[in-house]
Amino acid sequence: MALSKGDRVRELARLAGITIAEDEVEEVATRFESLMLELERLNELDLSDIQAPMVFPDEEE
Amino acid sequence: MAAQDIVFWSAAETAAAVRSKQVSPVEVVQAYLDRIDRLDSKLNSYITVCGEEALAAARDVDASVSRGETSGALLGVPIAVKDQFWTKGIPTTNGSRVYKDFVTDEDGTVVKRIKAAGAILLGKLNMAELAMGGTQNPPYGTPRNPWDLERTPGDSSSGSGVALAAHLCAASVGEDTGGSGRGPAAYCGVTGLRPTFTRVSRYGMTAMCWYMDAAAPMTKRVEDCALVLGAIAGHDPNDPFTSRRPVPDYTAHLKDGVKGLRFGLIKELHENEDMHPDVKVAIEASLDIFREQGAVVKEVSIPLTTLGGPIFVGIADTEGAGARDEILRTRPMDLDHATRTRLQSAALVPSKVFNRATKARVLLRRQFVEALKDVDVLVSTTAPFPAPLHTALTASFESADAVRARFFFRRSYPGCYALTGMPAISIPGGFTSEERMPISLQLGAGPFAEKTVLRAAQAYESATEWHTRRAPHAG
Repeated sequence: MALSKGDRVRELARLAGITIAEDEVEEVATRFESLMLELERLNELDLSDIQAPMVFPDEEE
Repeated sequence: MAAQDIVFWSAAETAAAVRSKQVSPVEVVQAYLDRIDRLDSKLNSYITVCGEEALAAARDVDASVSRGETSGALLGVPIAVKDQFWTKGIPTTNGSRVYKDFVTDEDGTVVKRIKAAGAILLGKLNMAELAMGGTQNPPYGTPRNPWDLERTPGDSSSGSGVALAAHLCAASVGEDTGGSGRGPAAYCGVTGLRPTFTRVSRYGMTAMCWYMDAAAPMTKRVEDCALVLGAIAGHDPNDPFTSRRPVPDYTAHLKDGVKGLRFGLIKELHENEDMHPDVKVAIEASLDIFREQGAVVKEVSIPLTTLGGPIFVGIADTEGAGARDEILRTRPMDLDHATRTRLQSAALVPSKVFNRATKARVLLRRQFVEALKDVDVLVSTTAPFPAPLHTALTASFESADAVRARFFFRRSYPGCYALTGMPAISIPGGFTSEERMPISLQLGAGPFAEKTVLRAAQAYESATEWHTRRAPHAG
């Protein structure tokens, strides 16, 4: 059976080792859902040839 | 010289007046302290006012001037810094109850350097909690926008924007992770510069996102921005990321104009249908000004700018949540409700999603580098709409669409420069016709091209009068 939005967030929070107040679960779930929806837009990008440097050295340009 | 005039001087004018003994630094500091005392109870721009320390420092500067030591670029200039910068013996709250007793035994590098340039530390400025933005009940009072007290001054260097617009300091240093300096500058009608990522040391500036945080000069005038940047830029052994490139004189050739410079309007940011119509008109009018001054103006395409908001939040919030892990585990209820729920949601983001956002950041930078082959200066607004009402920002999020509208859209404008590590400045660009709130113009350029950005900004400032207007709630 699929988890509800709230239960999914509770489970992720448990794995992350944080506790979300019961009366704030709904808001955190809404924020998380929105963040994931926005970040899903990045799936449309072709990022196959990109390695991720952590800083941009000034010698680059 | 009447005290009521001193506070309206630019930092450059103040330093010149102190240098020429037209006014004493003690008079300058006292004028600001009197004004803070009169106005800040309603504006809440300061967390800590360093009155006694500032007067003592002013007396020291006075003695230096008497000895003929007048070389400091910021001689006798009262500067207030965001309460994110460490200050020896003075609390650095980071806008949070969690840090209310956090006192360091040394100044951060930025604070050390502005003092070395002759500036006087006037106080520590209010900010969104942990430099994140969106704080609902700021523990040190809600900062109010001097143009309309019911509207936000922007996040997270909110106190810097307010204090400058209300003339409660001569200049400020804020911090800009993804627009935290330029955003309040835009909403408050002042100037804010995000330098190249490695240009200014971050030592002694509490971290929000290690790979994007940048100290941000915030000022009343473009020239002041050049002075403050010149004072704080340069390699610092305490921050190994800082560049070893020599620091140029940012004021040299500042007023040379823009003849021959190539300006590119970022098409995707400008064509967004959710942008306030007055903002769109103001940006197009700015292009006319540059064109009239001999610049070449064209349109450039940087497609990924439209995803700048989500890429930025995906990286900065996730990293920020990791950096605040101990607080989230042990004392989350000491955080403001909005800070807590934002960090908690970011803490749940899977690593593969974070990795994808990090790669998208690199692609975005590639697109910027490509666009900058054709132009010298990139143009957009900093904020696609004027400062929203406080009430519009403090309601709980009830839907994903509400989060998108409030959270992601506007962040694409300043966020792209944070993601690419390139410099950008926000300067006053007009006022909306209905709300009479400031509009902003954002000018960006390639790595270490701060001189170009400042020169372009100076040309616009010289051709307009927006920066001379006084906010109605600034006494």
